[in-house]
Amino acid sequence: MDYTTIVAGALKAATEEDHSEPIGAGEGAIPILPYMPELIFGLIVFGIFYWFVKRNIVPNLEKAYADRTSAIEGGMERAEKAEAEAAAAKKKYEDQLGEARAEAAQIRERAKEQGAQIIAEMREQAQVEANRITETAHKQVEAERQQAFVQLRGEVGQISTALASKIVGESLEDEARQRGIVDRFLADLESGAITPEQLGARDEVR
Amino acid sequence: MSGDITLLGYGVSTIGPAIAVGLIFAAYINGVARQPEAQGKLQPIAILGFALAEALAIFGLVLFFIAFFVG
Amino acid sequence: MNATMTAAGLVLPMAEGESHFPPTPGDFWQPLFAIPGTEYYFTRPMLLMAIATGLLMVVLFLTTRRAAIVPGKGQWLTEQVYNFARNGIARDMIGSKDFMPFVPFLFSLFVFILLNNAFGIIPPFQNPTMARIGFPIGLTLIVYVVYHWVGLRKAGGVGRYIGGMLPSGLPGWIKPFILFLELITFFITRPLTLALRLFGNMFAGHMLLVVFIVGGWYLFKTFEPGLMLVALPAWILGALLTVFEALIQFLQAYVFTLLAASYIGGALADEH
Repeated sequence: MDYTTIVAGALKAATEEDHSEPIGAGEGAIPILPYMPELIFGLIVFGIFYWFVKRNIVPNLEKAYADRTSAIEGGMERAEKAEAEAAAAKKKYEDQLGEARAEAAQIRERAKEQGAQIIAEMREQAQVEANRITETAHKQVEAERQQAFVQLRGEVGQISTALASKIVGESLEDEARQRGIVDRFLADLESGAITPEQLGARDEVR
Repeated sequence: MSGDITLLGYGVSTIGPAIAVGLIFAAYINGVARQPEAQGKLQPIAILGFALAEALAIFGLVLFFIAFFVG
Repeated sequence: MNATMTAAGLVLPMAEGESHFPPTPGDFWQPLFAIPGTEYYFTRPMLLMAIATGLLMVVLFLTTRRAAIVPGKGQWLTEQVYNFARNGIARDMIGSKDFMPFVPFLFSLFVFILLNNAFGIIPPFQNPTMARIGFPIGLTLIVYVVYHWVGLRKAGGVGRYIGGMLPSGLPGWIKPFILFLELITFFITRPLTLALRLFGNMFAGHMLLVVFIVGGWYLFKTFEPGLMLVALPAWILGALLTVFEALIQFLQAYVFTLLAASYIGGALADEH
């Protein structure tokens, strides 16, 4: 049997109606010829199935895909945002810290200045006080000297009188007279008629 | 013992595609063994080659059916 | 085989008494009842296909009805399959630029063929619907129309579409031959192999399983000790072949979808 007879036979079997059965039907049919109801039924069923899948299944799955992708990307975005926020907060804190440091330094500086000023003022005050005390001391010393001088003047009179009476050997009882002599002596002394040197070392009491 | 010589013919005709399929998968395995990362690229090609070689065996089956049922 | 069957016989495989050994292609002819007003029968593969499709719709709908960002178990499983069809087949074959419109088509094609194939080994159905050539031809027709339509729209005219099939850089004298081959490839070989591959694998695989399992049963039924002993390895082999068949079923669903995607991708590609 050659090829042409095979093809002719197949065509003959496909078109012939001798066994009064449709193509592909019956147990004796060639397995490679389609049974029309099956072919059409298969097309219809697959068409329905395709329509169903296209309409109900694929959009859901693609939506889940897209959601998943966006969820992952959204998560990354959120993380990046949080990182940026953290960085911004850190920068802010650092800035504030720097400001605080600068302020502290300023305050310290000012305090130092103020301290120096206070010290200077205190020193000045102390100086003034010391001067005042010195002044007062000087005045007091002067006053004491004056007092001592006055007192000494009295005592010098008495001692001179006593000495003179002892030396002269006479009692100078008349007080007025006595006073007159002393006063005259002192007047002489003040006027320079009698120099302290003439009186000897008595002046060195003071 | 009885039968049809066309059946024997079909049996003989499958030898060619059988060798072809064997060669294709041998080459595929070789390729993957040498370069495992190329598997994804080789697999569809191997399957396509397998399908093409197998088509010959299927033609044989068809011709057998025609010869058996018609002749 | 009688067209009038009991209700239990609608889904269940053929009763043992009615089957015969060795299996023949005629075993796949399983009419259930006559469609009123026509000479056609409603067949068991049609019923199985309807069941498979209904099952798929329910499962897919339930697992994706509330598609969440964090998937549950069912949604995760559906997503794995969807991922496989979307990224593993559609995106790889068509290219990430314009694969999205074809994802529903390729995904439904993949799961549809997969479950219909799997019905070949799942009790109580145990009959791959795709072993009836009408169904693969139907699917192939859709793919055929889709990839030619896409190619025509992309090329913008029949002449340019045909011209685009030629590889560039050929010497002038060889062009007619190559064009002839390309035309045969595009219009005959591709759809023919696409449909027949799926059909042939399911058909032959199922025959093989029937040979070993029903054959073992026939050996066992003789009640001769020697033959009964032989039945055991036949069943073991049958079980192993069932696992192998599961692999083939998946592979055929994958190959069908992959080829459909590659044809569409080829029609959409800028250069041939």
